[in-house]
Amino acid sequence: MSSPMEHDRTCSMNEHGGRCELETNLEVLRKIPVFSGIPLQRLKLYAYLCKRVCYRTGEFIFRQGDSDDRGYILVSGRAQVVREYEDHSVFLNELREGEFFGGLALLSDINRLFSVKAATDVDCLTLDRESFRKMLIQFPEVGVKVLDLMIRRIVQMEEKLMRKHVHECMYG
Amino acid sequence: MVTQKSLFSWVLERCRGLQLLLFVMILFTVFFRVFPLEMQKRIVNIAIQSRNINALLTYCGLYIGAVVMAGILKYVINVLQGYIGQKILYEMRDQLYTHILSLPLSFFRRTPPGMVISSLTSELSGPGDFLGSALAVPIINLLTLITFAAYMVYLNPLLALLSFAIYPIEILIIPVLQKRYNQMNQDRINVTRGMSNAIGEAISGMHEIHGNASYPIENQRLERFAAKLFSLRHRMNKNKFLVKFINNFFQSLGPFILFLVGGYLSIKGRLDLGALVAFLSAYEKLYDPWKELMDYYQDLQDSKVRYYQVMNYFDRSPEFQLKPEGPREPYLLRGQIDITDLEFVVDGNIRILDRISLDVQPGEQLAVVGLSGSGKSTLAMVVGQLYSYTRGHVLLDGMELKTLTKLDVSHNIGYVAQRPFIFDDTLLENVLYARKSLNLSGNDNGPGMPDSNEVLRAIDEVGLTDDILRFGLNSMLERREQADLAQRIVGARQEFYRRWGVELAGDVEFFDVDRFLHYTNVAENISFGFPNRADWELEQLPNNRLFRKFLDEVELTVPLQDLGRQMAVETVSLLEDIQDDQFFFEMSPIPRDQFEAYSAIVERLSKGGGEQLTRKEQDAILKLALRFTSSKHKMAVLPSALERQIIEARHSFFEKIAAGDPGAFIFYHPDDYLYTHSIIENILFGHPKADRPRATEEVQKRVVDLLHEKNLFAAVMETGLSFQVGSMGDRLSGGQKQKIALARVLLKQPRILILDEATASLDNRSQTRVQELLKTELKGKSTLIAVVHRLELVKDYDQIIVMKAGKIVEMGQYEELLTRKGLFYELAHGA
Repeated sequence: MSSPMEHDRTCSMNEHGGRCELETNLEVLRKIPVFSGIPLQRLKLYAYLCKRVCYRTGEFIFRQGDSDDRGYILVSGRAQVVREYEDHSVFLNELREGEFFGGLALLSDINRLFSVKAATDVDCLTLDRESFRKMLIQFPEVGVKVLDLMIRRIVQMEEKLMRKHVHECMYG
Repeated sequence: MVTQKSLFSWVLERCRGLQLLLFVMILFTVFFRVFPLEMQKRIVNIAIQSRNINALLTYCGLYIGAVVMAGILKYVINVLQGYIGQKILYEMRDQLYTHILSLPLSFFRRTPPGMVISSLTSELSGPGDFLGSALAVPIINLLTLITFAAYMVYLNPLLALLSFAIYPIEILIIPVLQKRYNQMNQDRINVTRGMSNAIGEAISGMHEIHGNASYPIENQRLERFAAKLFSLRHRMNKNKFLVKFINNFFQSLGPFILFLVGGYLSIKGRLDLGALVAFLSAYEKLYDPWKELMDYYQDLQDSKVRYYQVMNYFDRSPEFQLKPEGPREPYLLRGQIDITDLEFVVDGNIRILDRISLDVQPGEQLAVVGLSGSGKSTLAMVVGQLYSYTRGHVLLDGMELKTLTKLDVSHNIGYVAQRPFIFDDTLLENVLYARKSLNLSGNDNGPGMPDSNEVLRAIDEVGLTDDILRFGLNSMLERREQADLAQRIVGARQEFYRRWGVELAGDVEFFDVDRFLHYTNVAENISFGFPNRADWELEQLPNNRLFRKFLDEVELTVPLQDLGRQMAVETVSLLEDIQDDQFFFEMSPIPRDQFEAYSAIVERLSKGGGEQLTRKEQDAILKLALRFTSSKHKMAVLPSALERQIIEARHSFFEKIAAGDPGAFIFYHPDDYLYTHSIIENILFGHPKADRPRATEEVQKRVVDLLHEKNLFAAVMETGLSFQVGSMGDRLSGGQKQKIALARVLLKQPRILILDEATASLDNRSQTRVQELLKTELKGKSTLIAVVHRLELVKDYDQIIVMKAGKIVEMGQYEELLTRKGLFYELAHGA
């Protein structure tokens, strides 16, 4: 069996230029406000527990109403936040490199309130709820800090979305 | 009832023929025990004194003959006793277990599993052992005792009476001590039960213990019991050995008296020497039966305590009759349910159900809604005959539910609990459970076992097909038994690659001999095959001389050891603070149980150079490198030059093995099935990439199409159905468990179906699917009572009852209830 033609679709993050995945993940996490305050030794563990995932243009990262147990950090590309209704959907926001989204699922088993769709090819770093909780149990002092920042971040984002939403309704 | 039998009734009722045989043999042994004594006397008095060699030989021959016979008989008696005891124990366990299974659910609310387990296993085995000898031992020893005593009286009445004088004293003292022992024994049983319960509870709550690292709490809990048990056991031992001591002491008083008085009489010429020798022997022989009687007495007391403690605990009557009296087939109901003034009262006056009245016609569907604690589930359980009711009537086809037997109910009612129980067996066995029980319960014209189509249909109806397909695709085939299937899968593999190989190149890492495999460890990347023999398995490779020589030749030893060292250092520093949780080790190349060994190596490394490591440690480092899997182990990276070097080595490895040890490996070859890989990996001849979350889905869609085309779908489903679900189904999700329970009840095709929030853990799609099934397939066939939590699911029901605090507060159809603006309206609008 000969090898198929190589399509230019592999995860760009896999080209790590000789550095191990742990280090590249760590680099990403250090730039995210929610995680950047964590001492390096602990942050390494988050980097260890994170997984890389890639989406192609047009693919949904998650869909409104789905239950999903991951939080996402957008590493490269752009994605759209969309709220879906029975007969139409409303574009709410665009996510760019370095944004942390979907973090609510780390806190509780909820269904997604909105969909996120890849506008270009997208690479993400994800953390699942079990890992997040395990870290919370192991290092409560770090966990509480992360939790605090994360909730602020979620509230901020929701606020932004709400404002936008209201805005759309008024003029749309 | 089994719990009311006395201990001895078992002995008197069971194995009577064998026991009679035993008794006869005992009579013989008694004779063979006394006989040598008489021979002793005659050897001394007749043969030796009259210097008669012939007589000496005759008596000696008879003597040895009797001794041998006594030995053989003793052996046979022991075997028989053991057999009888175990046989009785076997029946006792069987009957008690049957009885326990029939006890009402409410009993098990208060009875921890540990209690039942220890009762049936350890506590009953004592009485069982005892019962085997319950008749034989006292008879044999009493008879022997009396015979020896009689013989002694015959030899010399005075001496005999003197040596018997000590026994009455013992008979007075020992029971007093024994009584204390019995009391402690009872306490011991209670403490042991407490301990089993504590252990049982800890094990079922293991996730909570791990989650909170509450090991010390649980340790302390157990320690309290262990300490109590220790002190009880110690006091019991003291008591037991005190009895032994007293017994021994009195026994040795005997010879003292005999020598004193017998010696005196002998010197005075009033007793011949032969008689004295025989007398001393007889006295010594008295000791054995007496000791055995004492042991018997202690065993008897111990067994009585254990036996009655167990039996009293389970001495409750079942709530319902299990089977009809007399030969009658189970009723086949139409499914009419009439409930009038039903009440279910607990703890004297708490009404869980309060004057419930309702009718459901055959084939009608009734939904029960209400807040939690309103008695919905209890109502479902009462109709399912899982609880009995206190007052009122539940009529099924006009017959009072209380008077129906369990067999009638199981043939007509299917009940699915909110948290159904899944047994530690295959998926298929779990799905067939209810149907199997129907067929076993003696109904000749029962439905029989379902064929595979029926099973697959039921599975599809509850939305379990995808899950089972996934289990199937992820399972491995057995080389010996499934070679045919394997060959057909290899056929599908080529088709798959031809059609989608190019399209899926981004989603699948194909096993390509010229590429490094990131989802496969370094060892397999070198061998590009799987070993047939243990000495070529990864864990053994560092000790495999041929392999080590090969690594040296292709110059991989040094770079791999560098990689291993880097992995060890990084992993140890990463995980050293969280060694107590297995979770963190799932992506680690060092398993948790080897962590300490590697941490020691890392410590030595940090003190200075690799030279200090021993051979064994260097091997451990190499092993780590061989385990390295790029996609899994993030703490290290393989330089692309090394990847290329490994691919080159792969080719020469193939030549080496093909030439030197051709049977050692099966190489990844497009025409061979890989038994170390799952079915899906075999179809792909590769590995779906994990960093593409849609990859698995897209690949699987195509695989399923292909399976259908190649008529392989049923075979894969069958493999999936043989998936072992683990203890209490812990390898399944909550939704999967509910789906299994639903499929289980569908295969039973009951006339009355009771669902107690049976779809609560399902995802939306499956829930809709089941709802659709109830609306179409089952409509009119089965009477349905469904306890429903989500109100949007109750629209299509013929009747809805709304419960509050054990009462029906509203009743009607969906629209009707909404317009009434009562409790239902409030519930529906989340007010």
